[in-house]
Amino acid sequence: MGSRALAYCVRSVARAAARLNHGSVLTRSACAPLASEQRPLSVLSCSQRTRWTQPVRISGPSVQQCRHYGDLPPLTLENIEERVMYVLKLYDKISPEKLQTSSHFMKDLGLDSLDQVEIIMAMEDEFGFEIPDAEAEKLMTPAEIVQFISDKKDVYE
Amino acid sequence: MSRSDVLSLYRRVLRIARSWTAQSALPHDTDNERKYIAQEARTLFRQNQQITDPESIKRCTEECEARIEIGLHYRNPYPRPTYLPPMGLATQKGRKLRAQQRLRKQAKPVYLLSHDET
Repeated sequence: MGSRALAYCVRSVARAAARLNHGSVLTRSACAPLASEQRPLSVLSCSQRTRWTQPVRISGPSVQQCRHYGDLPPLTLENIEERVMYVLKLYDKISPEKLQTSSHFMKDLGLDSLDQVEIIMAMEDEFGFEIPDAEAEKLMTPAEIVQFISDKKDVYE
Repeated sequence: MSRSDVLSLYRRVLRIARSWTAQSALPHDTDNERKYIAQEARTLFRQNQQITDPESIKRCTEECEARIEIGLHYRNPYPRPTYLPPMGLATQKGRKLRAQQRLRKQAKPVYLLSHDET
């Protein structure tokens, strides 16, 4: 997942670099020895006294432009739903064939309220944030769980 | 004592199990104790799932809360048995077996209700 984000960033950098990288001889010579993808961005301001208005970057196809600082890739609705269904399939009291996004835990899958508490705890573990008791009791289908998480995490549809 | 209160209690125990660290701080012990807490909660709650008498439900929830507090205080999730010698509650007058058994059952602390005396 990290490599996908990196590839996306590298592609966006290559596009931005193509726009910025006009006629800057120093940068072209500087980007030649760069071979690894892990090089951070740096701004060459010391040697660019004449061109002060435009910040010059060590550009090239192998520069990591956007910095995540250890943050996760952004959540999408499909991603959330995938993870929710994956966690539910791992639960031993649910048979994976009968599981769908709209299957009710109590009516369709035959679970009881203690199982529902366990499922919501598993979701808390998966997504890393606490779900308060009052709202946790109302989540009865995977679709509702996905809706709730996307509301909490501000994932727009 | 409503259904949602019992479920909140269950959720509280599972949250404690998630962030538990053992007294000895060894990862092996921490792991074992976490699993023990979750498993014990699961079995006991399921075993008492069908009780409808409000008095028994109240006793079970008191047991649960007492065990939570004792476990958190002593940093030990296992039940804390008390010692009562065989004729510990006998008076000069009543030394019959049935009376003794009745008295012993009455004297058992609330947090040991699900724990069998061996």
